[in-house]
Amino acid sequence: MSKNHYLARFQKGWQIFILNPLGKTGIILLIVFMLMAASSFFIPLLDPMYDPMTGIDPLIKESTGPSFHHWLGTDNVGRDLFAQLMEGAKVAFIVGLASAFISIVLGTTIGMISGYAGGITDRILMRFADIIMIMPSLVVLLILASLFGQFNIWIIVFIIAIMRWPAVSRVIRSQALSLKSRPFIEASKVAGASDIRIIFRHIMPNVLPLAFLYMTFRVTSAILVEAALSFLGFGDPSQVSWGMMLQWVWKSGHMFQAPYWLIPPGICISLLTLSFYLLGRAMDEVLDPRLRKEEERK
Amino acid sequence: MPILEVNNLKKYFPVYKGVFLRPKGFVYAVDDVSFTVKRGETLGLVGESGCGKTTLGRCLTALYDKTDGNVHFCDQDIFSLSPKELKTFRLRVQMIFQDPFESLDARQTVKEILEEKYLIHKKHNRINIDDEIAVLLEKVGLLNADMSKYPHEFSGGQRQRVGIARAISLNPELIVCDEPVSALDVSVQSKILNLLLKLQEEMKLTYVFISHDLAVVKHISDRIAVMYLGKIVELADADSLYDKHLHPYTEALLSAIPIPDPETKKERIILKGEIPSIQNPPKGCRFHTRCRYSTDICRKEEPVLLINNREKEHYVACHQYG
Repeated sequence: MSKNHYLARFQKGWQIFILNPLGKTGIILLIVFMLMAASSFFIPLLDPMYDPMTGIDPLIKESTGPSFHHWLGTDNVGRDLFAQLMEGAKVAFIVGLASAFISIVLGTTIGMISGYAGGITDRILMRFADIIMIMPSLVVLLILASLFGQFNIWIIVFIIAIMRWPAVSRVIRSQALSLKSRPFIEASKVAGASDIRIIFRHIMPNVLPLAFLYMTFRVTSAILVEAALSFLGFGDPSQVSWGMMLQWVWKSGHMFQAPYWLIPPGICISLLTLSFYLLGRAMDEVLDPRLRKEEERK
Repeated sequence: MPILEVNNLKKYFPVYKGVFLRPKGFVYAVDDVSFTVKRGETLGLVGESGCGKTTLGRCLTALYDKTDGNVHFCDQDIFSLSPKELKTFRLRVQMIFQDPFESLDARQTVKEILEEKYLIHKKHNRINIDDEIAVLLEKVGLLNADMSKYPHEFSGGQRQRVGIARAISLNPELIVCDEPVSALDVSVQSKILNLLLKLQEEMKLTYVFISHDLAVVKHISDRIAVMYLGKIVELADADSLYDKHLHPYTEALLSAIPIPDPETKKERIILKGEIPSIQNPPKGCRFHTRCRYSTDICRKEEPVLLINNREKEHYVACHQYG
């Protein structure tokens, strides 16, 4: 019964979501990129020369344009650009989703505790969040990278997550603040519920939809930060990513000689971030009926 | 021995103002209130909105901490309980909330809502929890099939029945009812009131019944306390209060009850002016600004709650009777 209810609610939300032009575009784009990421697992199996990192076409010594064997051409050492692009999609998903997930878990937990506890706990946590929030994440990453040398991709993911939780926790905190004085929370206090129980049983289910909405926006910003970092040459050199591909075009001096090398990763970065942004916007409308009505009135 | 004893209870809320959020004064929500509740009776608390009756109710259930004074429940000071004692206290003292729409978690089924108390107090036995809840639902006049429904599938009256079922589960002794019927239709109000009376008889419950509706309070209460600006101004037997009210404020309140007979004419006392700010209550008697009998002493000295009729246990705080 309870499952049916959630299912019904999900179906209703999904209907609104999929009928929304933003949501539809977003989900189509997302599916395309998911297929690209999935294909990256199979391409190197066809022929070792299609390995995005180590595969070199023995016949090619310089960057060439699109051909039958190399759909998007090759880079200056003969590696297949199409394979790199697919690999880049996979990395973008990993970076985006992983760091968004970590920052959402951190932000939601800290936000709920801060809002529910209030008082001095709230002040300390929120001042801490403010300090992190005002730090420009790219600059901090650049300084850290120049201090400690080039980072592993997972460290980059983690640092982006650390830099990005405060905005989430601010929003979740304000939700928790308004929830904690609602009578059903008081009712469960009168029943003898502990604070932990109230936070995880009553507050969390009520803020989770909002947390998921924020997750889509965090994905966007994580992908952009990683791309920028890689392009500037502070990425993980052992890992192909779209930002890394752009960095290689730049470094090898093919910026204006090889549009087949420069343009695809650029477009992919824009479209993938656009897709997550559209998903977030459409989810926003599912969660906030006021936005939806306005849309219907048109 | 009274089940609940309130002595000089005070609850002030600080008001923060300015950039640095310094406390600038207080809201004197409950200011020096004393009374007792006997086992098995219903004490009605009436007063207009903002007079502190809800805050008082929340102090009695230890949802709010006190500012001063004390509350004894069965000879235990409820503000100095250890966490373990507090948990036992939570079993014995329950609350019914005003708003039946807000007081139930919209994301939980009736079963989950009612089950929570059993889980918290580890009285949860998977074999009989469904039976227990079925018995509860029957007691409050709901069906067994309602167990798997969500709050939004019920009417206001039915939701309040769920709230009552939650309160009476695990046999509490005292229930603080915070305006349990004021959000309901008049036709439903009487049904809920009769349900509360029936449960009181069956389960030997004690009620503290908060309301702004004098007709409702008269129907259910044994004794009634009238509150004005955080103070109890009159406390008496229900009949005695309605027939021989003493305090001018009670007089005005009672004159405002509509009589369902157009032929009957009665004098209605219209209180002049607005209710004074509870942050800055008037000096002397708090009612003197609106009282038609006020004299010099009312402006200077604050009257205390004194016994007027020992036989009827009729207390009043007014200089007229001092």
